[in-house]
Amino acid sequence: MNRLDVIPERVRRWVVLGLFLVIGWFVVAGFDAPTTSLLVLGLYYGAAGLSFNFLFGSLGVFSLAQPVFLAVGGFSGVYLYNTYDISPWLTLLIAPILAGIVALPGALAAVRAGGGAVLTALITLILAQAVPPILIGIDKLGGAVGLYVDPPHAGHSAGAVMQYHLGAPFARILLVLNVLLIGFWMWWRRSRFGYYSAALHDSPEASEAIGVPNLRLKVWVFVISAMMAAPAGVVYAQYNLLSTPDLFFSPVALFQVIVVALVGGAARPWGTLVGSVFVTYIAAKASDLSGAKPGVGPLTFAAIFLLMALLLPRGISGTWAALVDRRRDRSTGSAEPATAAGGPSAEDAAVDGAEPDDAPRPATRT
Amino acid sequence: MEYFLQILLVGLLAGSVLSLVGVGFTLVLGVGKIANFAHGSFVGLGMYFAYWGHKTFGVSPYVMLVPGIVLFALVGVGIAELFEWRGRKIGELGVLLVGLALLLFIEGALSVTFGADVVTVGGGNLGSVRLFGLSVRLEEIVAAVFTLVVAAATYFFVKFTRWGRALRAVAENPTAAGLYGIRVPIAQRVAVTTSIVLAGVTGIMIAPFYSMTPAVGSTFLISAFAVVIIGGIGHTLGAVAAGLGIGVVNALSAGYLSSMWTGLVPLLIILGVLLARPNAARA
Repeated sequence: MNRLDVIPERVRRWVVLGLFLVIGWFVVAGFDAPTTSLLVLGLYYGAAGLSFNFLFGSLGVFSLAQPVFLAVGGFSGVYLYNTYDISPWLTLLIAPILAGIVALPGALAAVRAGGGAVLTALITLILAQAVPPILIGIDKLGGAVGLYVDPPHAGHSAGAVMQYHLGAPFARILLVLNVLLIGFWMWWRRSRFGYYSAALHDSPEASEAIGVPNLRLKVWVFVISAMMAAPAGVVYAQYNLLSTPDLFFSPVALFQVIVVALVGGAARPWGTLVGSVFVTYIAAKASDLSGAKPGVGPLTFAAIFLLMALLLPRGISGTWAALVDRRRDRSTGSAEPATAAGGPSAEDAAVDGAEPDDAPRPATRT
Repeated sequence: MEYFLQILLVGLLAGSVLSLVGVGFTLVLGVGKIANFAHGSFVGLGMYFAYWGHKTFGVSPYVMLVPGIVLFALVGVGIAELFEWRGRKIGELGVLLVGLALLLFIEGALSVTFGADVVTVGGGNLGSVRLFGLSVRLEEIVAAVFTLVVAAATYFFVKFTRWGRALRAVAENPTAAGLYGIRVPIAQRVAVTTSIVLAGVTGIMIAPFYSMTPAVGSTFLISAFAVVIIGGIGHTLGAVAAGLGIGVVNALSAGYLSSMWTGLVPLLIILGVLLARPNAARA
């Protein structure tokens, strides 16, 4: 028996998460400036990707509109401070509410259109494409130029308005945000709502028959996913000291969120963070090796994504989950592995967006 | 009145491009049952192929049509195989993933190869004509005529040939088509390959009068979806009518309202259709 087995698994997960936060808190202060800026980027995309994967893992659909909700965070943070003197710390709580309100019509449209993977991707892509011209048309938000963060107003310290000279404090804030999002998702998976969404994901007809409010649940998952993205936008805008349409809606920014999320996989809440740090690091290294040639970073992102889509469609965490299950099956001598091809367990499959490799296509999801 | 006619003309010419993009997309969505998110990127690839030919060999984009068709047919066969493999393994989501990955990869590769700046194919001008007091480049008229020819050819192929009937049967009911001896996977591969060839050819045809960036494909993607959803999935003539309609509405909104609306109009139309007729997009 493993010595760690005396701690119940449910508790062990939270202990590991807490330890990760404590260790990470001290470790991020030890990096040089370029590595710290890379870490900030990785953690920012990690938080954004977590919001994407929460939806993907819960309902098995893509939202290509996550940059919209990041932008809601970014613009509200800067606008509320510049205009109403509201600290970005407070906006961390306000922005999710605004993002939820913005997400609601899109969620209703996607659900009304049937909520399938392709249609949801399409509707959210439309939302992502429609917001930039609208944003540019709003003078109060700075038009195409966007908004620059005012220096600390009189009587405010830099820390009170989230303006630091170094990257490490931002890395710490984003680290805490990632841990909170992972913790929330861990709680959600084991809550009543998590079981509801797993049932809905597996069989909408069956879940409806047992009394799960399918439509309401879908809308809620959409809205919560949007709310999860907004705080990362607030922090990222403060880090850059500006909030512009290009910061959130450039073609690269639009797809990087999806790439890190899908490379990380939705089978485990920690997958996105691992995927984000991995992809950001590899893309930066490739860019360095090419002498910072324009486009090499995004191309590396795309190449990793293409390879993952073809070879490991369940991402890093999905592949990890499959390996763990296979090992568990072997050690217990189970005659019936979790899936025919050693895929994730039934529970993982329920939260994983993709089908187990080699699994036949279920009629309900075509 | 002349201003209105000018706007109408601009709209019809722009709409013919959208129609051409939509004809290929309606085929892959209707018959192939694949929402190829990289469809617009193949249009972009065609544009850059023409640009590369002009820059390297100094030839007109139209000269690149023949090698372009061969190249995109070969690429199309490979992509169709890829979609089939992923679709068989992990279903709709796998296809969606591959489409998105291809979109990103093509844009990234174009960016590294040609740079991120806006480029245009210079030279090789066919001249221009005056219509309703507006100077129109002949290249635009050639593209519009080409659209009509391709749409008509596709329509007759799908409607009256044996192969076309097989494709329609697969679009209507793949299972039943299979029971009648139609080789469904082959029909779907043909649809995907044809749509990619059409996308590439569209890119080559519009390269002389379109400025391009590596991200140009994304803009065509939304338009392609709008055209197909409004025109009806799998309907070639519907795609042509929808493309022309969107082009005209776009031009009218740009002419009489703020330019902000130019990009928003197709998005609002598609969103409106999806909300009003959710079944319109359920292929």
